[in-house]
Amino acid sequence: MSQYAGAGPTVHDPTTLPSDDNVNNYTFCVELKGSQWFLQKGKMIAYYGSIDFNGIGHGRLDRLVRTSFHSPLHASDWVVAEGSGKMLLADRAFDVNSYDLEDGNLTIRSGNLLAFQPTLALKQSIVPGFLTLIGTGKFVAASNGPVVFMEPPIRVDPQALVGWADCPSPCHHYDHGYMTGLMGGLRAMTGLGGASGEEHQFEFVGAGTVLLQSSETLMAEQATGAVPQQAGVPGSGVPSTGPSQQAGVPRLPGQLGDLQRRFGL
Amino acid sequence: MTFRELNSKMVEATVMPGQRLFSQRGAMLAYKGEVSFTPNMSGGQGGIMSMIGRRVANEATPLMTVEGSGTVLFGHGGHHVQVINLAGDTLYVEADRLLAFEGTLEQGTMFMGSQGGVMGMVRGQVTGQGLFTTTLKGRGAVAVMAHGGVIELPITPQRPVHVDPQAYVAHHGDVRNKLSTALGWRDMVGRGSGEAFQLELSGNGAVYVQASEEKL
Repeated sequence: MSQYAGAGPTVHDPTTLPSDDNVNNYTFCVELKGSQWFLQKGKMIAYYGSIDFNGIGHGRLDRLVRTSFHSPLHASDWVVAEGSGKMLLADRAFDVNSYDLEDGNLTIRSGNLLAFQPTLALKQSIVPGFLTLIGTGKFVAASNGPVVFMEPPIRVDPQALVGWADCPSPCHHYDHGYMTGLMGGLRAMTGLGGASGEEHQFEFVGAGTVLLQSSETLMAEQATGAVPQQAGVPGSGVPSTGPSQQAGVPRLPGQLGDLQRRFGL
Repeated sequence: MTFRELNSKMVEATVMPGQRLFSQRGAMLAYKGEVSFTPNMSGGQGGIMSMIGRRVANEATPLMTVEGSGTVLFGHGGHHVQVINLAGDTLYVEADRLLAFEGTLEQGTMFMGSQGGVMGMVRGQVTGQGLFTTTLKGRGAVAVMAHGGVIELPITPQRPVHVDPQAYVAHHGDVRNKLSTALGWRDMVGRGSGEAFQLELSGNGAVYVQASEEKL
């Protein structure tokens, strides 16, 4: 009955669905046996068995959130799946993959993370728009095209970056030679010659792994929540005390225009 | 091999001193080593005259020159990438499909009307190529973008290939192409099959077809 000749679609039932593995490139199946998983809202497409989906922050799950969910500021974007059965995760036909962390840390773009085991702790990265997972466990992430792993030292286009593991946070790299000097000044003043679009990258150094996606199309960013309004916290909007530089407009030596305007920020 | 396909949407290029690569602007994903990216005002090779030629022909895509030593990863817009190796023959491709190509290749522009006169111009309109198309000639590799996966269909004198104009990506070799129409009364009353126009390619070479009828 379920025998299809040729290239018909594969028909799955609860017994043939894989356990904690990919069904195809775009769908991931999670098996729950009385355990719990954190899911980003709206990424579950189907499930078998009896699974409860509870919003975070409702009494009973308070303890769980306290132990493995350290960002109460965006907790409302996540749900806890609990029960036994199999559920399918997918995100707008993007490539989906699972990754195992063993006593490690991994920072990932907030929109790319779909689900993770509560044995991992989720924290806000100090890099805005990124989340850090710490501990041991499995998580599921989406990317536009398959993910490619590279080792530092490497410079990465900001849009192609999915995340990084075990290595120090990246820094900005500007193509100095391109922006300064006579030709750079002429380009800035006249707009002639155009931008190569590659004057700015993220630079990774040190030991670790960098995760890249194969396209410069970004996934929709998921709010990571506001950071505490406190001096010394990046992105908090509170100026640091003491003698500060002129706010907002960085200048390079020998440069004619504003850096920000040059990059269209 | 200058280009290595990492997966269906990403290629890795090796850059060595003294060698140049051209790539579409903004298509670099990551790089290792000392590599510089210079925007290319003239949109490719040649002097000011070939630049004007490309502007007029509307085949001027923003390109950049990649020089130095290291490895560069290219990918763009989530499109599928196909690496085509040329051994002395000519590749005909739309300029905006070019992801990257080696500097050893000679870049040119071709008027569609020069292949089959008025029918060539009509063919250009139907395939979305316009009146002009870009040619790359010589020895080297080209990374071409397509919407959906790409298959290569060999063309032999005994076996001409018919292609949906919208799924056509590029072709190389000694190939003659003509537009064949299968217009009937059904098309006139709006009950056509939607496949009234086909591109017929015959000769010796290969044609690349994408698994989609969407343009880039």
